[in-house]
Amino acid sequence: MDISTITDTFDSWTDNALGWISDNGEWLFDSVRAVLEGTYDGVLWLLQLAPFYVIAMIATLLGWRLIGAFAGILAGLAMIFCAVMGLWSETMSTLALVITATILALLFGIPIGIVAGFVRAFDRFLEPILDLIQTMPPYIYLLPAIALLGYGAATALVATFIVAMPPAIRLTSLGIRMTPHEFIELGQASGLTPWQMFTKIRLPFAIPSMMAGVNQCLMMAFGMVVIAGIVGSGGLGETIYSAVRTLDIATSINAAIAIVILTMVLDRLTQSVARRTEGDAR
Amino acid sequence: MNTAMNGTNEVLVDCQSVWKIFGARAQAAVKAISERGLSKKQVLQDFDCVVGVSDASLQVRRGEIFCIMGLSGSGKSTLIRLLNRLIEPSLGKITVKGKEIARLNPGELREMRSRNIGMVFQSVALLPNRTVLENAGFGLEVRGVAKDERNRTARAALEKVGLGDWTSRYPKELSGGMQQRVGLARALAADPEIILMDEPFSALDPLIRRQLQDEFRQLTKSLGKSAVFITHDLEEAIRIGDRIAIMKDGVIVQVGTAEEIVTRPADDYVSDFVAGISRIHLVKAHSVMRPVAEFKAAEPHCDVNALLRTSPEADIAALIDLTMQSDRDAISVVENGAVIGVVTIRGLLRGVAGTPTAA
Ligand SMILES: Nc1ncnc2c1ncn2[C@@H]1O[C@H](COP(=O)(O)OP(=O)(O)OP(=O)(O)O)[C@@H](O)[C@H]1O
Ligand SMILES: [Mg+2]
Repeated sequence: MDISTITDTFDSWTDNALGWISDNGEWLFDSVRAVLEGTYDGVLWLLQLAPFYVIAMIATLLGWRLIGAFAGILAGLAMIFCAVMGLWSETMSTLALVITATILALLFGIPIGIVAGFVRAFDRFLEPILDLIQTMPPYIYLLPAIALLGYGAATALVATFIVAMPPAIRLTSLGIRMTPHEFIELGQASGLTPWQMFTKIRLPFAIPSMMAGVNQCLMMAFGMVVIAGIVGSGGLGETIYSAVRTLDIATSINAAIAIVILTMVLDRLTQSVARRTEGDAR
Repeated sequence: MNTAMNGTNEVLVDCQSVWKIFGARAQAAVKAISERGLSKKQVLQDFDCVVGVSDASLQVRRGEIFCIMGLSGSGKSTLIRLLNRLIEPSLGKITVKGKEIARLNPGELREMRSRNIGMVFQSVALLPNRTVLENAGFGLEVRGVAKDERNRTARAALEKVGLGDWTSRYPKELSGGMQQRVGLARALAADPEIILMDEPFSALDPLIRRQLQDEFRQLTKSLGKSAVFITHDLEEAIRIGDRIAIMKDGVIVQVGTAEEIVTRPADDYVSDFVAGISRIHLVKAHSVMRPVAEFKAAEPHCDVNALLRTSPEADIAALIDLTMQSDRDAISVVENGAVIGVVTIRGLLRGVAGTPTAA
């Protein structure tokens, strides 16, 4: 038996397995798909409810309150610039994808991170898995997703979710584990129940680290959402992908600029929230 | 003698031959100590374990302020943490309010800590995300006291420590000494029967420190609370404590009243500590007086009933004052209406100098 027959057998096994999963799990994947796309549509609908200048005003207001007047004005102008380039609806689709994927990643990542923060064994078990997820090239995750969920936003969301979750888990677990010993003693000496110890002592000290996790989660999601343009995610990623295929350099550069702008605005906003919570805690 | 005045000798905290050994091989070290009686040094050499507290026994009675003093690293913080089971003893038994605390289940232990034993930390440990008022009310919050009542109690406690105007500030806006006072207010607000205090006044300036010492003593006494108070300052221990335990390398080398420790130090370590202490307020008439018969033999013409009178508890400062007012060189010491001894000028000088009293 030579090597090629071995690989052929292996390939046919994987194909069969995937085929079996998608045939037998059809109801499951259909419902996952429905939930993901439903959430995404909802977020997008909300974002599109307001005209571009309202969103720009919200960005200005947030930037001004969280960072400063200058940053606020820049954030507003940046959003207007996206609209001027004629990429507003793509920008909002991308934003909706990122927000949905980030919320999903946090919804799973934070509880998992909290458990990992308390249970050392679980943390040690997760560590190599998270390492593996983070070392693989991110577009790998598109493959199983597209096989099971098909072309479209749901696949993009699942792949983005996988890529964005590890930093949320890691930084939450770190934050929970880092509670200064003297405050644990304070809690014990005051007779706190385990739940009170968690909500009144550990969680407040973990919040700055968790907020840094939210920021990183968001950044990972941005990176992945662009790559997910290949699977028909919609938004700026897909604009770039199709512009590159038709050698429409100008459009692809505009879309790239819009992505950079969006990333920077959200990065600065979440970072300043993270820094604020840190200022409270120390 | 203060406890005698309070009319009770109930022991609230009882520590019997307690050891705490830190290190990976603590259990083996404990075995070797109980079987072969190794010293602290040998334990460090043979087992690579640090002896934090070594064979400590002490009793804290109801209404008593019990001071623990000793140099840095002598095991004071370790000992006080054993009393509310923040750390488990390697050997020995600790009883609080008649209950052996090692046997309490988690619920009972929480109940005991939140209602009966308060603690003020050396590191203060104010929660940075809460205001001064919220920090002071923390113990009450944990017990589920309603917000209005909690805030009222916390505010009153903060006023007692002179921080009534700082309630809505955050800990980082306060100086080290102010933070220590918030820590004290937090313990007072929770109103426990026993307060464990780990160097609570170490970061305060002398003036406010003295004021708080006096206030703390008066407050504990008037409320009938008990306290274990750690300090590395003997003057503070004397000022605050009914009894003082002196620690060295994890061992309690002497326990006694301030007067006992100053007049009869157990060893050279303790004498070094007490060397600079003024005796004027510590040494009392009963330890410098001569028995009546001996005085009469020496001064047959003097009528002890005609001398100025004082109580056995009068200190040297008071005796000097009386001697200055009198035209005689002696004061009679009276208890229950009878003269029990006479303090002469020689006796006074001996008391001030600290040479052992012959009489
Ligand atoms: N968690 C620990 N692990 C190992 N060794 C410890 C631990 N805690 C205390 N020790 C050791 O126990 C001894 C006593 O420490 P402790 O903190 O009780 O001293 P202290 O009298 O409170 O000193 P200070 O006045 O500096 O606060 C020291 O030698 C210290 O190194
Ligand atoms: Mg200490």
